[in-house]
Amino acid sequence: MSWAQAILLARGLSWGWGGICGAALTGAPFSQAPLWAPRGLHRSAIACNSDSWLVPPSPEPPKGPPKALAPHEELFTQALGGTRDKANFVRAVQNFGQHNVYKRGHVDFIYLALRKMREYGVERDLAVYNLLLDVFPKEVFRPRSIFQTMFIHYPRQQECGIAVLEQMESHGVMPNKETEFLLLQIFGRKSYPMLKFIRMKLWFSRFKNINPFPVPRDLPQDPVDLAKLGLRHMEPNLNATVTIYQMPSSKDSTGAADPTEPHIVGIQTPDQQAALAHHNPARPIFVEGPFSLWLRDKCVYYHILRADLLPPEEREVEEIPEEWNLYYPMQLDLDYGRSGWDDYEFDIHEVEEGPVFAICMAGAHDQATLAKWIQGLQETNPALAQIPVVFRLAGSTGELLGSSSGLEDPPPPPPEGQEEEEDNQQRQQQGQS
Amino acid sequence: MGVGVLFLRRALAARPSRAPVAFATSRRLLRTSPPSRAFAKQLFLGKIEKKEVFPFPEVSQDELNEINQFVGPLEKFFTEEVDSERIDREGKIPNETLEKLKNLGLFGMQVPEEYGGLGLSNTMYARLGEIIGLDGSIAVTLAAHQAIGLKGIILAGNKEQKAKYLPRLASGEHIAAFCLTEPTSGSDAASIKTRATLSEDKKHYILNGSKIWITNGGIANVFTVFAKTQVVDSDGSVKDKITALIVERDFGGVTNGKPEDKLGIRGSNTCEVHFENTKVPIENVLGEVGGGFKVAMNILNSGRFSMGSLVAGMLKKLMTAAYACTRKQFNKNLSEFGLIQEKFALMAQKTYVMESMAYLTAGMLDQPGFPDCSIEAAMVKVFSSEGAWQCVSEALQVLGGSGYMRDYPYERLLRDSRILLIFEGTNEILRMYIALTGLQHAGRILTTRINELKRGNVTTVIETVSQRLRDSLSRTVDLGLTGKLGAVHPSVADSANKLEENVYYFGRTVETLLLRFGKTIVEEQMVLKRVANILINLYGMTAVLSRASRSIRVGLRNHDHEVLLANIFCAEAYYQNLFTLSQLDKYSPENLDEQIKKVSQQVLEKQAYICAHPLDRTS
Repeated sequence: MSWAQAILLARGLSWGWGGICGAALTGAPFSQAPLWAPRGLHRSAIACNSDSWLVPPSPEPPKGPPKALAPHEELFTQALGGTRDKANFVRAVQNFGQHNVYKRGHVDFIYLALRKMREYGVERDLAVYNLLLDVFPKEVFRPRSIFQTMFIHYPRQQECGIAVLEQMESHGVMPNKETEFLLLQIFGRKSYPMLKFIRMKLWFSRFKNINPFPVPRDLPQDPVDLAKLGLRHMEPNLNATVTIYQMPSSKDSTGAADPTEPHIVGIQTPDQQAALAHHNPARPIFVEGPFSLWLRDKCVYYHILRADLLPPEEREVEEIPEEWNLYYPMQLDLDYGRSGWDDYEFDIHEVEEGPVFAICMAGAHDQATLAKWIQGLQETNPALAQIPVVFRLAGSTGELLGSSSGLEDPPPPPPEGQEEEEDNQQRQQQGQS
Repeated sequence: MGVGVLFLRRALAARPSRAPVAFATSRRLLRTSPPSRAFAKQLFLGKIEKKEVFPFPEVSQDELNEINQFVGPLEKFFTEEVDSERIDREGKIPNETLEKLKNLGLFGMQVPEEYGGLGLSNTMYARLGEIIGLDGSIAVTLAAHQAIGLKGIILAGNKEQKAKYLPRLASGEHIAAFCLTEPTSGSDAASIKTRATLSEDKKHYILNGSKIWITNGGIANVFTVFAKTQVVDSDGSVKDKITALIVERDFGGVTNGKPEDKLGIRGSNTCEVHFENTKVPIENVLGEVGGGFKVAMNILNSGRFSMGSLVAGMLKKLMTAAYACTRKQFNKNLSEFGLIQEKFALMAQKTYVMESMAYLTAGMLDQPGFPDCSIEAAMVKVFSSEGAWQCVSEALQVLGGSGYMRDYPYERLLRDSRILLIFEGTNEILRMYIALTGLQHAGRILTTRINELKRGNVTTVIETVSQRLRDSLSRTVDLGLTGKLGAVHPSVADSANKLEENVYYFGRTVETLLLRFGKTIVEEQMVLKRVANILINLYGMTAVLSRASRSIRVGLRNHDHEVLLANIFCAEAYYQNLFTLSQLDKYSPENLDEQIKKVSQQVLEKQAYICAHPLDRTS
């Protein structure tokens, strides 16, 4: 009994260990899974380090023979006559099957196709992944005995299958029934690609909506729309109003906004308006920034209008007026409050901060632009006219700026806004010095 | 008819003796002990103040004869001459109907006789309310006129004001309106914007501002207006305080908007009223300058109890029994189906309870002294308005599709009864009032005890613990309602025991709540609502027990039916109370407050229903 349990346990471990690991390590959740069990027994033919053994080999290895065309590259170069789109990609994959009845070199071809996918813009297309899996010959790699299952059957092919799933995972493509059916046909139920598939099915559904503040997949290109999105993203209050204080004045041929009239978009909630109206004009308020906000692979900068926290002696104690509610008493004259044993809240040390009255995103971060924002704010906040406003602008937007071109995606065509931002920073620095 | 009615009015006005009043005054003189504590407040301490509610209040035979003399013609008038369907359709009470109402004296029911009113006691007023309740629009018009409109003059007016205004208001020559609500101010008195400034010669107030949803706003001549005035405080500081003013339309600058289009009570006139530089002489200040808040509170608190009888009167006429007994389905009358029978039992039970509560409260109010029955009145209002909505809906349901049609009056009654849950203080607000006023009372008395507990006084702690231990071991509670010389008849003794048990454990729970929340209980609205619900049930149980016991002992017709109704209600309320009491326990599985709060918080944060569609997929 006990040894049977032990075997079961061991088996469960070997299958489940990767899953636990994957859940624990958010960085590379799934790729490590198959590493554990097989490493001691069997190594695949591909020479690779443990980080990238699943990732298709780089087209330009750092050291190696001079660049040669990868096998089957011609299938894609043939199609190059047309545009790089899904139809041509599909045609190339189909051509492989037609040219090559015995499917010789299909693993190489699949790796190649995986690398090509982004070029053709099909990296998020589930049908294309299924088509790629379909390239594998069916039934050949299915283990037929328990021993074949134990000693990884056709490891290179299994790794290739995992690589396809891996790329799906990194692009957030959820496999479907067809994928499952193909994997069953190709590798069988007890195979690593199938395990990967099951884990993807399990965790994708849990992680898909884990972000309570989802950012749309395709960000708007227009800086004004992007700023609106960013502001809405930061402000939890749905009653806040977004105001465009200044539209980018004109667009020249390159589509860049005229740097003299950058866009200014602000957001303010009714509560913030009320708080600003009650602000003591003797105390200055500050425009601070720029602070960075990442929206997917884009970085935008914002400024806040804030005040310092009132010193405790100046804070008004909110008193309940005696004659307030016509219908029921607003307070009981008991001389004790909530009892201690009813309070199960953790003792959290909270640091109070001064109020933030408004947020804005502008195309430029210099004082002149932000002064226009304050001017615009005065229309809805007349109290602002009496309050001194101090501009406390940071010289640099931080070292994040340099890496603002995507983390995993290839750098998009150099954004014009970024250059402009750098310009502005220089101007700003000049202005401040 | 008109002549007959006039005669009646005169007959009533020229009653030879005011026996009950005389009796009352003599009793008042005799009473030397301090006025007994109000019944509802004592419930919070787990005690039943028997003297207040047992036996059920009665009126003398003379009074009864008098009022019956009056009820007959009034009922005839309402059933034969008032065309409720037309009032609802045209959105106006016809002038001739209003005239007849005036001739009947219905505009001055509670105005003292020396000012030309009928000077009815609260009980009599409730009795007439039963008939007036037959038409929602008329009932609301009359209530706005006298339950709140001119009530301020009766309660807080001085002799000159009374002499000047009450006679013409009582005769219906002038109609009154109560102007409190503003666009920014519902029950929040601090945000009233209407302002009265003293003129330079200090003889007038200049009134500016607008009020909304004023019943009778378009037809009234005399308004009780609440406005902010500057008052110099005792310490010399100038403060804005509310002042009540009597404003005549003839003062000038009073305009009103067009009548609002409403869901129900469409015949009543509701509109905005604007005051623009209206000159109000300072003699017209009601009560003290700056004392308007108290005036408003007193008016609002005093007007509520009558809703019980109003609704009961309507429900009694509503019984759709004739339909149920004639309509055949599957060769059976509807009345033979259990689900239909259930509805009639429910209607009878609710009517019985609210009638009992209303007359018990009226009787308490008619007692000498000025008993503070505002909690009781609020309970009557909450219970009867919710009962009305439920019963009218059930009556409509009996008729099925026909009930939904305009050919039958049920859809109109349903629309009319919806307002009952809203006006004179929404039921939510009144629940807060009921719970908080009672808790305040209990808190004052329990404070010393609780303080000792908090300080860890050994004797008190041991006392409390042993009491809890006793509570958990034995469940028999005897507060002296039953037994040989008990206040309650043995036929309803079981129910009385249930009431006693509920009351006792309610007192314990209140103590725990006060100990747990202290003064922060004001913020715990869900807890307060439950406290109020229990209290309403307890009051209802007391009322039916008291009434049923009297009926049996006096030998009224069909008292066995009353016993049935009382027992049904008490049992239902008992189990409801047990459930609610367990909900008030912090650790009980019935207490879902935390989850409820979380759900509402998440919904309100997104301002939307946030669940994914049931057909959505993740792949």
